[in-house]
Amino acid sequence: MRKVVAPDYTVFEHVKRHAEAVKTAIREAIIPESVTCSYPKERRKMPASFRGYLIFDPDRCISCFGCAFICPANAIRMKEAEDGRYYPTIDYGKCIFCHFCLDSCPEGALKPTKIHDVAYRDLDRMLTLTEEMIEPPEIIREDKRYVEYVIDGRDLHLRRVDGEDELLVDLPPPSKVERIVSCIDPESCTGCRICEEVCEHGVIRSSVEEDGVRMVIDSERCTGCGLCVKECSMRVLRLVRR
Amino acid sequence: MGGLLEWKVRVPDKPMKDRLYFDGLKANVIDTGLCSRCLTCACICPVDGIRVVDDKVDFPDREERCRDCGACIRVCPRFDYRPKYGMGDYLEFTAARSKRFSGQDGGMVTEIMISAIEMGMIDRGLFVGRDERWRPQVFHLHDSSQLEVGTLSGTKYTFATVLKELKKAVLLTRNGVGVVGTPCIVSGVRKLQMEFPLFRDRVRLVIGLFCTENFHYDELMRFLEKKGIKPEMLIKTDITKGRFIATMVDGEVKFKVKELEEILPSGCSVCTDFTAVESDVSVGSVGSEPGFSTVVVRGKSAEEVIAYIREKGYAEFGEGDPGQLDFLIDYKVGRFYVKTKDDKD
Repeated sequence: MRKVVAPDYTVFEHVKRHAEAVKTAIREAIIPESVTCSYPKERRKMPASFRGYLIFDPDRCISCFGCAFICPANAIRMKEAEDGRYYPTIDYGKCIFCHFCLDSCPEGALKPTKIHDVAYRDLDRMLTLTEEMIEPPEIIREDKRYVEYVIDGRDLHLRRVDGEDELLVDLPPPSKVERIVSCIDPESCTGCRICEEVCEHGVIRSSVEEDGVRMVIDSERCTGCGLCVKECSMRVLRLVRR
Repeated sequence: MGGLLEWKVRVPDKPMKDRLYFDGLKANVIDTGLCSRCLTCACICPVDGIRVVDDKVDFPDREERCRDCGACIRVCPRFDYRPKYGMGDYLEFTAARSKRFSGQDGGMVTEIMISAIEMGMIDRGLFVGRDERWRPQVFHLHDSSQLEVGTLSGTKYTFATVLKELKKAVLLTRNGVGVVGTPCIVSGVRKLQMEFPLFRDRVRLVIGLFCTENFHYDELMRFLEKKGIKPEMLIKTDITKGRFIATMVDGEVKFKVKELEEILPSGCSVCTDFTAVESDVSVGSVGSEPGFSTVVVRGKSAEEVIAYIREKGYAEFGEGDPGQLDFLIDYKVGRFYVKTKDDKD
């Protein structure tokens, strides 16, 4: 283990360091260099991976409930829409902005933005309905320039750039492992056919025959949403690589 | 992978045409008084709709929720009932007293379960505890520190919903599950294992208890209150030499077991299995000296656990006498014949 001790400066080094400190003090007194950004007149430029407010594309959503299941703060509730399908709503009063929902979405229906500053009049309005999530949340922008932090040598500097930072992030379509449902233990299947009922795409079908129930999975049409996997009471359905 | 994946689920014939399978189960088992309330059907029900209503197994909203899959009929040990009786096959008949745990007699149920967990054979055991009013509650036991609850060991003489918890335990387990239960529960587990490989692979240890009868909680408590026994004051219940002994904070109340026959559930009066012949190991009080548990080792897995207990010296072993069990085995078989004769008259 290395012991950290105070450096043993000579008198000459002491004088040199004090002179440097006095120089910095005089410089800051004449032209002060601030490292804080004057929000809202300027905004900090965030990376594309910033975890801000989410926007939602109902056309891509397959109602798999994956976002609602994974949400550690229980902020996502699925709500039945007029077309009979279920779409997420987010309670930003509970959301911890972990973006697990976005990462778990198999179809890329949830998209990130760099928006982090939305004000609400009361708690009830923080519950964002599906319709309100399609467009990015409305914010008033007064910023004329954005700032970037750069580390140059040993110091942190602030670089101001004129122009607006684009708050919407254009993500490439998710590169996902294609998964399909499979039955890992057909003998333990009770034949309750709940999987057939919940499947949106008619992938799982059953037919009642004389001495039992024949179950068929048509893997070609499976989107890998995993809804049947969650509902199977014997947990014999699994998602496997296509 | 791609294309079609096909499998077939074998389902038995419907006992009642154009009705739900559960209606058939109700007509053949529950309404005829054969039902032992083991709740194997509730364990397998995919919509979790089967429960106990007024001391009877029922599926109240079956018209709306039942999937009519027939699993309840496939696993019911009393549907197509073949009564078991006698001592059954065993590898070893012995008596033992645990040095680590105290129980009704020798604390051997707790000892076997904890040893199996320590060996890594199972990672959870289902135990029945009770609340302060002696209502049964099912516990998932992972290690011996949970035994500080203090109410897990000891006989309760009331029906518990062990099997309702079994599916949850089986789906959560990594190594395997251990179950303790009366002979009817043991038969239910074996039927589940016969029908569904999921249970065959994951239920590794089935401990059966010697059982003459079991009571419904409400009826037993009403009966005990008539005898002047308050459930809050009870410490221990036991049946020895034909007498029911209730030990309370302030003394004991004894009465003849025969008096309990008025509240004997019908499912118990048709049962002839005293020693849980289908278990991996049966444990009880009869057949050994006071303070010892009788241990009847039947299965390979139980044999390994007992060998482990011997090796570690966790229990003191004594002499067991199978002959002492004959009276109760015959008593249970005899009761069955009396009952069936009554039905014919």
